[in-house]
This record gives sequence, structure tokens and C-alpha cells, in this order.
Amino acid sequence: MADRRPSPSSSDDGGRVKRQKTSKSSSSKSTSDSVPALDPKQNPYLAHHYEDASDEGASDEDGAMVMLKHLKRHKTTAAQAEKIEIQAHNPWTMRKHSQRYFEILNKRRGLPVFHQRQEFLDLYHKSQILVFVGETGSGKTTQIPQYVLYDDLPQRKGQMVACTQPRRVAAMSVAQRVADELDVKLGEEVGYSIRFEDRTSEKTVLKYMTDGMLLREAMADNNLSRYSTLILDEAHERTMATDILMGLLKEVVERRPDLKIIVMSATLDAAKFQRYFNDAPLLAVPGRTHPVEIFYTPEPERDYVDAAIRTVIQIHGTEPEGDILLFMTGEEEIEDACKRIGLEADSIIGELDAGPLKVYPLYGGLPPQQQQMIFEPAPPPRRPGGKPGRKVIVSTNIAETSLTIDGIVYVVDPGFSKQKVYNPRIRVESLLVSPISRASAQQRAGRAGRTRPGKCFRLYTEAAFKKELIDQTHPEILRSNLATTVLQLKKLGVEDLVHFDLMDPPAPETLMRALEELNYLTCLDDEGELTDMGRLASEFPLDPTLSVMLICSPEFYCSSEILSIVALLSAPQIFSRPSSQRRKADEMKAYFTHAGGDHLTMLNAYHAFIAAQTEGEDMYKWCYEHFLNYRSLSQVVSVRSQLQRIMERQNIELVSTPFEDKQYWSNIQRALVSGFFMQVAKRDGSSNKTYKTVKDNQSVLLHPSTTLGQDSEWVIYNEFVLTSKNYIRTVTAIKPDWLLDHSPEYYDLDTIKDRDMKLSLQAVKDHMRRKEAMKRRA
Amino acid sequence: MADEEDDYMTMAIAEPSKPVKETSIQRTARLKREAELRSRQKTKEERAAEAEAATQAALETELDTSNKGFKLLSKLGYKPGTALGKTPGARTQPIEVSKKENRGGIGLDTEKKRKFREEMEEQVKRVKQDVVSYRDRVRMEREEKRLEGQLIGAQKVAEQLDTADDETGLGLLAPGEKGHKKLAPLKSINVLWRGLVKYRLERENEKRMREAMLQRTSDLTSDLPTYDDSDEDADDRQALGKDEKPEADFVDDLDEEDTELDEFNALDPAEKVEKLVMYLRDKHLYCFWCKHQYADAEMDGCPGLTEDDHD
Repeated sequence: MADRRPSPSSSDDGGRVKRQKTSKSSSSKSTSDSVPALDPKQNPYLAHHYEDASDEGASDEDGAMVMLKHLKRHKTTAAQAEKIEIQAHNPWTMRKHSQRYFEILNKRRGLPVFHQRQEFLDLYHKSQILVFVGETGSGKTTQIPQYVLYDDLPQRKGQMVACTQPRRVAAMSVAQRVADELDVKLGEEVGYSIRFEDRTSEKTVLKYMTDGMLLREAMADNNLSRYSTLILDEAHERTMATDILMGLLKEVVERRPDLKIIVMSATLDAAKFQRYFNDAPLLAVPGRTHPVEIFYTPEPERDYVDAAIRTVIQIHGTEPEGDILLFMTGEEEIEDACKRIGLEADSIIGELDAGPLKVYPLYGGLPPQQQQMIFEPAPPPRRPGGKPGRKVIVSTNIAETSLTIDGIVYVVDPGFSKQKVYNPRIRVESLLVSPISRASAQQRAGRAGRTRPGKCFRLYTEAAFKKELIDQTHPEILRSNLATTVLQLKKLGVEDLVHFDLMDPPAPETLMRALEELNYLTCLDDEGELTDMGRLASEFPLDPTLSVMLICSPEFYCSSEILSIVALLSAPQIFSRPSSQRRKADEMKAYFTHAGGDHLTMLNAYHAFIAAQTEGEDMYKWCYEHFLNYRSLSQVVSVRSQLQRIMERQNIELVSTPFEDKQYWSNIQRALVSGFFMQVAKRDGSSNKTYKTVKDNQSVLLHPSTTLGQDSEWVIYNEFVLTSKNYIRTVTAIKPDWLLDHSPEYYDLDTIKDRDMKLSLQAVKDHMRRKEAMKRRA
Repeated sequence: MADEEDDYMTMAIAEPSKPVKETSIQRTARLKREAELRSRQKTKEERAAEAEAATQAALETELDTSNKGFKLLSKLGYKPGTALGKTPGARTQPIEVSKKENRGGIGLDTEKKRKFREEMEEQVKRVKQDVVSYRDRVRMEREEKRLEGQLIGAQKVAEQLDTADDETGLGLLAPGEKGHKKLAPLKSINVLWRGLVKYRLERENEKRMREAMLQRTSDLTSDLPTYDDSDEDADDRQALGKDEKPEADFVDDLDEEDTELDEFNALDPAEKVEKLVMYLRDKHLYCFWCKHQYADAEMDGCPGLTEDDHD
């Protein structure tokens, strides 16, 4: 940021780089500078010289405090707040404002949303629920909560303002940014709360949190009485938690007339939100956008990846200066595209005398320092006077809404993204490459107009855009397993699940499956009421399958190991397998491999990690050498300790079978069954590799990454993945009698339709009975 | 337990109605056959297709009342066929699962389907056209053959009638020496039936040439010294088949260019027939369709000039 200050451009190479930067920053600066610079009294840098002129005539130390104290709750004006903001002292901490504070304040006052501060306050005063629409970059996420803070004054009633975010990273980074803007320490007046991490204190008046965390808090406090105002940000993303929260808040506002709700969305489908919230008033703030010219292909593309690469190269060869953003569906595709663009660019640079091209990948699983690289400026020309360089960012749909990259002028949109789907009929929850919605396509195109007028190349025909794409992306609630949600709703005190007012109610069958699953997990009784097990399970921020397994694990003398496994399953993949070193990575993995299955292999790797840590190894290096993901494993450790605390609170014992005991592994496998008994597959008689899922009778293959030995007839699996083939991923061998033992209700043979499966289970049952009889006789 | 055992039994017996009467050898053979059938590895494609079909079938099957979740939801006040929530028009069916198995761009599948459909339509059209033209062709062929027959018939009548009243002194058929037909030059024959004569001559010529060839080859192959008799006269020669071909002249005649005949032959068969019919009527008062030679130019009793008139 510091190097973005204007500097005189010079003709040498370095100057050229800078000039490019400058031209960007100066344009945004000019707008922000223009207002305060006119009147010295308005200049925040000099504000303290004019303190005497303030109405209060207070001393330097407590001027701001007094002014804040004199504000009338829900009757303040923008001018009042702006005046307090330019005081020398911080009204929240009583400390003197830093120089940086005023620098940031200056920038804040250039944001589009600033010009509507008063308008916002007027509506906020008038209405309990408000819908706010502002494009990304309008400043709504950072500014609106602060505007609310200066009017709602939650500290007076010992309450807080909360602002929800769909993503953990956003909650953390926005909280840090706003703490800087308010000149306070993160974790004090401004904090954040995400799953497995709470950075708030008693001083906290503004809290950024994931929508999931707010939902969890609602489970403990159904009226959310700690909060004076709740802001649901990025509501257009329609995450599961936001949807549930909206349904819940519709009920809470009836009980709590003092609670104010602001629903913020980036897209203009605001009418739907307004209607849903009983015709709530709407405030729209224009984003800072430029027109974007849209191009379609004349014919459908045979291969969208080829077409995308071709388009990027064409842009680089023929279009004027400006960076390119290409949307792809997933990690593998992105890495592949990056490589190919790099190669093809080299050849046209020679042919066409094009400028240098730098390609950056961007996806969720990328290490943060590599993610930061996308903000690096485009490369300089090869030689003085040569064609300017350009950067290409190949990204998943993270770059669609949640992340803003300056300098993008060209967007290439093949029209696909990976989307989660859930089908209750075959109980599959999977990420599938699917066409995006028209709303998404518009959002993507908009990314080209952030800096200056841009171009968007859609790799499909205009007719396809109109006919083939759906209007809006299906909200997550329609694409997910609802077991966790139903358990939460039960805990939230929602009695009537059938008529719970959701913005987009899911298909009834999805709810049926969730109820069924919770019933077999003994979280709900036959009347649909929460059981003790259900109440206990809802204490864990986990899928009910995992919570129930954790709760049952002391019975099998391995709760410590199951806790590790649950933590491992809750974190991203720990094994890394870079495409360039696959064989080496596999060799290293073999070092941890347990033929019993992937859960056990993961546990081995985790134990090795802990052992190396206690031996004082350089863990980053150790992980690198062993092809393990250090970040994931650190997360596993932290998740594990969070869960351990909950277990302790709920008096769940932490026990282990001695490692030398020959039941060590089988105890773990048995404990796995107590959670995963509904995710079971049996080897299909006719083939070694194919398995069939119990009850749904779907043919599945073991995922190629599995470490399972071939001799396992029955397996439990963590995921049923739908790709070109159907896979089960993360599998571990089990014995079928454990299934019948653990849940005779689920394995009631009358409910099993497949003949082979039924016969096998019958045989197991008979065998168990004989064994039982023999035992009795003995 | 008893229930389950009963159930087990019924499943074990294949066909309770059919008395099981097989010898041990038959039984072994059957078991072996069955085992082979069972153990036969299905091909990859077969298995994939089966799995895909099973997935599709399962995706299209709604959870029914036997499902525990269904019972639980009903207890909570759910009525089958309705949607959840309070929003009107909410969904009752889960979102469809569609797997993308290639890198085709958006709209490609639809485009492919459209093209395929168009192609199929095109093909259907072509097939229809083919049917029509086949019928036409057959009819035309038949018609042509019929006309050909009529033409030859008419030509024969014309030849007969023309040669019968040879008072014109054309002397078409002159008795040749020793009974051998001496033909008038081909071009002097009426063009209408000259083709017929030419055809006949050509056939005769060919036959003779073949005979001559046979003769010559038998001469050559004969090892025996040929008997050369100086007393041999023409008659002897002919009797011995050693006759020099005196017909060489009209073989040349056949090869001669005949534009008049070519022109006539180039005509439409129907036209040729019509010309002949008209010639016969004008010249011989003969109606080809009535197969009757009339007495006067009135040709009283003939219904008309064309075949259709004679139906």
C-alpha cells in the first residue's frame, strides 16, 4: 500500500512500473482527496487545531468521549458522527488517534457508501428491518457496521453489533481492517468469532463472525439478546446458515422489537429479500463500476478449457493494456490452464512481439502467501518502449464476489463452476461442474469494470445465455444434506419444521432423509423430538454423524483416537500430492499407510506429526519432506483442542486402548461404525473393485487415493462422490456383524431390497446367533 | 425367526411348480453352466451401463411411505405432494443431478441434439424421396420395356407390309445365287424399321464370324496335313465349309455410318412407336392397336390414333 503513493513518472524501466501503479491509485485518490482537501477545518490531519470550535468545547482528552455520550441513540445524524470521527482522541479507547487512523479515514470518506450515510441512518431509524444493496467495493462491509455503531451505541446496554460473513477468512480480514479503521486493537472493541476461534473480549462492541457462528449462538440464546443490531452481509450468497438465520430472525424480531436487522446483498435481486421481510425498505448504493462490453461466441465451444486458453492468448496478443481474469472450475483445471497459458504465451511473445505475461492461479486451497501474489502488479515491458506486460489470474468463483482484484479489464467466462449438489434419493453430496446462473455471469462480467471500462468474453452463445442458464444460483439449502440443520433447528426451538418460513424451502424428501438419519443416530425419537443424544450432539459444531461417533467412542476405549479422526475429517486434506511429484508423494504416503483404510492412515500421519513436533523438529520442513500439508495439520491440532474442550465440558471421557493391545485398531474401526453405519458399502460379488452402497444399491468404486487393502468385503466411507464415475472416498474396512450389532433398526432385513445384500446380512445374522448360542452353552 | 426361514426357503426353491427331476450329471452340468454365467466378468461397458441405469432409476424414485423419515415428517404435519415452508410455489422435487463428463461448452449439448435431430429429419426425408423415385424408376423401366416391345412389333409389321407389296420395285429381297439372300444396301431400307434389319444382320454376322473362327481354330489345331484338292469346286468348298465369305460387302455396310438411323434411334421410344403407327396407318391403312388392316382411308371402326383410345 505504501508504495502506491504518487511519484513523478520517469522514462526508465522502474518508473514505468510505478507509473502504472500510480495511474490506478491516483484515480481513486482524486475522488477521496477532493472533499476534505478544500476546507482546512475538514482536514482530519489538522482536526485537532480546530477542536475549540466544537460545540462541546471540551478538552483534548475527553472531547470525543463527551460527544459520544451526548448522542441520542437512534436519533444521531451523519454530521455528528463525522465530527466525532475527526477528533484527536478515540472515543472508544480514549487514546490519541494515530497518524494512520487519519490516513485511513481520508480513504473511507471517498467510498461510495459514505455519501449516503445520512440516508442510511434515516432508514435505519425508521425501520426494524432494512435491506441494503451495494456492489462489492461500495464499502458496505466495513462502513455500515461502523455507521451503526455510532448510532446504535450498543455499549450503553451492554450489547453488541454483529456482522455476519459467509467465509471465515472474510470475517477475520474484515475485522482486522475495521479494527484499523477505528484505531483499536483487534480482539478488543472490534473482534471476530469463527468456528474454533473466538477473538472477542468484554470490551467488544462490534463483532464480525461467520453466519454459522451466529447460528450456533442462537442455539444457546434463542433471542440473541446480546445483540442490538444484526447485520447479515453477503446475503446474496445464500449460504445455508444465512438462510436459516433469516428464517429465524423473522421470528426473533416479533419477540424482540428492539432488535434491528440489516440484510446486505451485492446483487440487485433485492426485491426478493424485501418481499421475504414483509416489504422492508431498501437502500441501494451504486458501486464504482464502469461499463463492460460483452462478447459471445458465434457457436458453442467444443472444449471450454481450450477455448478459454485461446481467448486469453488472443486478448494478450491484440487488446490494449489491462489484466485478465479467467474463471475455471477447480484446482486441477486451474493449474493445467496456468501451465498451458504460460507455454502458449511464450510462443506468441516471440511471434507478435507481445508484452510479457504472468499467470497466477487462485483457489481456496492455495497457501495464503501464494494467494497474496495475485495482487502483485503486472510485469514491466521486456525492454524500454516495448509492449506493456500483463497478468492473468485463473480463478475459481472465489473471484466472482468475495475477492476484489484491481486492474482487471478483461474477463473470460466459460460459464461453469463447481457447485455442491445433494440428492436425498441416493444420498449423494458432491461437487459437480455445472453451468453458472445468469446472475453469476453478470457478476463475473462486472469484475472487468472495476478499474476502467472493460470487456467480458463469454465462451457461449447469446442464445445459450438466455435459454440454458438458470436465472439465479440455487441457494445452498437446496443443495445440501439437512441433518445438521434439522438438529440445529430443533435446538433453536423451531417446533414446526414443515412450515418454518425459509426463503427457498427445500424439497420435502431432503427433510425426510435428515429426519430419518437423525432418528437412526438416536438424536431424534420416533415422535421427532430431540433426545439426550441429540442435545449432546448439537453441542458440537460438527455433522451429527461425527458428533454421535465422538459421543459413542468412549464405549470402544478410543475416544482420543476418534477425536483425532474427527478433527482430521473436519480439516482440509492433509496429504499433499503435487502433480509434478506424484510418485514421490505416494512413496511418502505409503510410509503412513494402514491397510485397514484411510481413516487409520490419516491417524498414523497425525501421530507421526505429533511425535515429530514433540521431538522439536522444524515442522514446516518436516511436513514438506513428508508431503503433508502443514496448514491442514495445524488446523487439525487446533480443531482437536477445541473439540476436546467441548468434550470435557460435556463430561465425555478421553480414553485410549494401549497401542500394544491387539484390539487397538479394531476398537477404532468399531467406533467408526457407530457414526458411519449408514455410509456402508459391500463388495459386489462379480468384481474386486466395485462396491455397492447398502440400501441405495449404488455401484461405486474405491477412490484411487485409497490406502485400503483389497481384502475388505465391507467398508464404511466418508463421502460418496459423483464424477464421471461414482466413487467412495476415505474408506475403512469393517466387519458386518458390527453393523447389525450397532444399529439393528437400520439393518432390519425387511428394509433391505437388494437380494444379495439381504442374503449376506442374513448369513451374518445367523452366524452371530450361532456364536451367541455357543457362548451361552459354554 | 420362523418367518425369515420360510422366506429363505421360498427363495431357495427356484420353481416350486416344476418337479425337479435331473440326473446328477445334468445337475453338475447345470451348476457348472450357472457358475460360469455368474463368474463371467461383465465387460467394463456393461457394468458402467448397469450402474448408470441403477443410478438414474434411483434418482427418479421418490422416497415412499416405508421410509422412516416420511413417517416422521407426516407426524410433523406434512401432507404428501405439498411443499415445505410458507413461500408459495416452493419446490416439491429435489434438484436434478446432472454429471458433466466432457469439456463441451455451454449450449454444445443442445446444439448437438439440435443438429442430430435435423440430420434425422433430413434422413427421413431422403428415405421418403428414395421410395418415391424407386417406384418411378420401376414404372418407367416397365414402360420403356413395353414400348420397346411395341416398337419391335410395329417394325416387324411394317417390314412385313412393306416387303409384301414390293410393287415399288425397291427389290428389297432379291433371291441370291444358290438360294442365298442377297440384300439391298441397308440405307435403302425404310429408316423406321431399318434398325430391326440391321440388328438381325448384326446377329447373323456375329454368328457367322463365330463359326468361321471355330473353323479356323479347328484348322489350325489339326495336326493332320490338309487335303488340298485342285478339283475342288465352289460347291465342294461350301460343303466342306471352306467357303470364302462372300458377305464381306454387307459387313462393311453394317459398319458404315448411318446418321439417319442414329437420329431415329435417338428419339423417345414413345415417339418412335408413334411414328411407326402413323406410317402404318398412312401407308398400309393398318392400325397397329386394332391389329387390323382396313380397306379404305376412312379406317372405319378404329377408335383413334393412340393406344389409350383402344382401351
